[in-house]
Amino acid sequence: MTEPLEKAGVMDTGNKPILQIRNVSKVYRSKGNLFRGSGKEVVALNRISLDIFKGEIFGLVGESGSGKTTAGRLIVSLEENTAGHIFLGNHEVTRLKGKTLKDFRRKVQMIFQDPYQSLNPQRSVYDTISEPLKIHRIGDASARKDAVKEALTSVGLSPPDDFLFRYPHRLSGGQRQRVAIARAMVLNPEFVIADEPTSMLDASISAQIFNILLAMRKNLDVTQMFITHSLAAARYLCDRIAVIYRGNLMELGPAENVIRHPKHPYTQALIDAVPKFGHSKEAQRYGTLLGKEHEVRKDMGCVFYPRCAVARDDRCSRKMPGLGSIEDGHLVACYLHGSEEIRLKPFSQALAEGR
Amino acid sequence: MALLEVENISIGYNTRKGYLKAVEGVSFELEEGQSLGLVGESGCGKTTIGMALMGLLPPNGSVRDGRILFEGNDTLKMSMDEIRRIRWRKMAMIFQAAMNALNPVQRVGNQIAEAILVHNPDLEKEAALSQVEELFDLVGIPRERLTDFPHQYSGGMKQRAVIAMALACHPKVIIADEPTTALDVIVQDQILEEVRDLQKEFNIGIIFISHDISIVADMCHDIGVMYAGQLVEFGPWQAVFESPAHPYTKALLSSFPTLTGKKSDLVPIPGETPNLIRPPAGCRFCERCPEAKASCEKTPPEWVDMGSGHKALCSGD
Repeated sequence: MTEPLEKAGVMDTGNKPILQIRNVSKVYRSKGNLFRGSGKEVVALNRISLDIFKGEIFGLVGESGSGKTTAGRLIVSLEENTAGHIFLGNHEVTRLKGKTLKDFRRKVQMIFQDPYQSLNPQRSVYDTISEPLKIHRIGDASARKDAVKEALTSVGLSPPDDFLFRYPHRLSGGQRQRVAIARAMVLNPEFVIADEPTSMLDASISAQIFNILLAMRKNLDVTQMFITHSLAAARYLCDRIAVIYRGNLMELGPAENVIRHPKHPYTQALIDAVPKFGHSKEAQRYGTLLGKEHEVRKDMGCVFYPRCAVARDDRCSRKMPGLGSIEDGHLVACYLHGSEEIRLKPFSQALAEGR
Repeated sequence: MALLEVENISIGYNTRKGYLKAVEGVSFELEEGQSLGLVGESGCGKTTIGMALMGLLPPNGSVRDGRILFEGNDTLKMSMDEIRRIRWRKMAMIFQAAMNALNPVQRVGNQIAEAILVHNPDLEKEAALSQVEELFDLVGIPRERLTDFPHQYSGGMKQRAVIAMALACHPKVIIADEPTTALDVIVQDQILEEVRDLQKEFNIGIIFISHDISIVADMCHDIGVMYAGQLVEFGPWQAVFESPAHPYTKALLSSFPTLTGKKSDLVPIPGETPNLIRPPAGCRFCERCPEAKASCEKTPPEWVDMGSGHKALCSGD
């Protein structure tokens, strides 16, 4: 199953991508029980393809349950994709073993959503941040201490000596998240995935975290994938944005283009829904969200069709549109913008028939 | 006479480390059918005010000073019985985390019917259930979901059910504490629209508590900005957001990413909020304030009136 690349969320610039995702799907099967063999299948990601280039911050935007966190977990190899390929540099992520796997674990880091759960309460800041160095056998004790101090300073926890031997309960939420970022940064990773790093934090603290991520890119050229539900945060932080809905890539393009000139009705519905500082009365709404859902047959047509108010093409209800390019680097999966049908069967159907 | 008047209220909690002054000298008024937004970051005292209005402060918390006048009567001087006659019937609250506000082992329809029966003991159960059906129509839940349990509801539907429960006794005031925080933007938008419609239809006064300034700006006529237990700026939303006077309001606005307008750099607020067991003698924001003068540290700030109801607690300029 090869799709032409330009249709697959892949931008052709001279720059070589650091991460390539090709037709990646993830299906979760519930275990079922004694009386009901294997249970239901949930398609968390449906044939996603995209490239992330060296030094960019790429935003993956979606609502809860859209599959954005799953995508992040697949990339760092916390879970295995059901189909498709993920390449980091020249290596395929799922095929990594032994030394190359350990090398990969050093190069790719993840920052999690909840700093209240991602730090071990029984470990001091120093223990937490130096642990990755110990695991990867980097430096001796004094070199590690210097590296930890440097990482703390780079996330704005200075003077670092004040924080080294504190335990998480003596840190505020923002400070905890900064320790989590320092832990990710201490190994000098090439690629960092930040999964909703500020959704638990206040606005003024979130801005600190955003600026640390921006500085990481500027000073250390770290490529990042920023997973978020907030279009406004993605606009601030990201060079390009991909909008994902129920595991499908709906729109992908330069951040400012996607936000200011959204093409997909779903992206437009998301932008409609964001409060706009009391200007909602003046602001024009796209009105692409249906009050009452269309009835549809399962597993056919565009995933957004049941809620789409502007669906006109009769293909909308029958065949899933593929991503098509509307201008340089701006891709949309919608018949209203000239997408073509995906000729492949819906993933879950193909799976069912394959058994 | 305003429907609800809060006069110079101070609230604190007894903690192991000492007496925590959670709210200090806050005053505001709410007219019938109007909405007032209280905005501020975690720990600024906004939820404490909501709980005090409902008479639901935890055992270690108490109102130390000030008055809460509901229709002219001081609720702080009322007996438990008198308060019960107001709470839920005239003043209702939509709690943060609606997910946990419903009883998981009771059908949603029955829970709301029970709430109605408690406050109207003469009513038949059948009549209460038919009232619940009407409430479900109002908040947009299909009637056939009456007999479902909470776990069968989506997050948005649970929130709607909690709003239905708050509306059950036709209150005059609803205190909505972060009612949409855990929801996706599209669902949030639909629920806020619902709340706006219901407010207009029943002329309800709403106190909207949120950390999200964009929601408050969208929902409210008047805005109160809170910092470290104090109200620091108050006024009509246009005035507060378009010409903010308090340095904290300005800082809060410039740390918030937006979708509209030019993309500009976000400026985080440096430092941490002050310790409220031993709050600073002068202005509580002065340590983090870019405009602070030497006198701010010692002398408590005073209210400056900018006219047409817009005022700020800052003696800076």
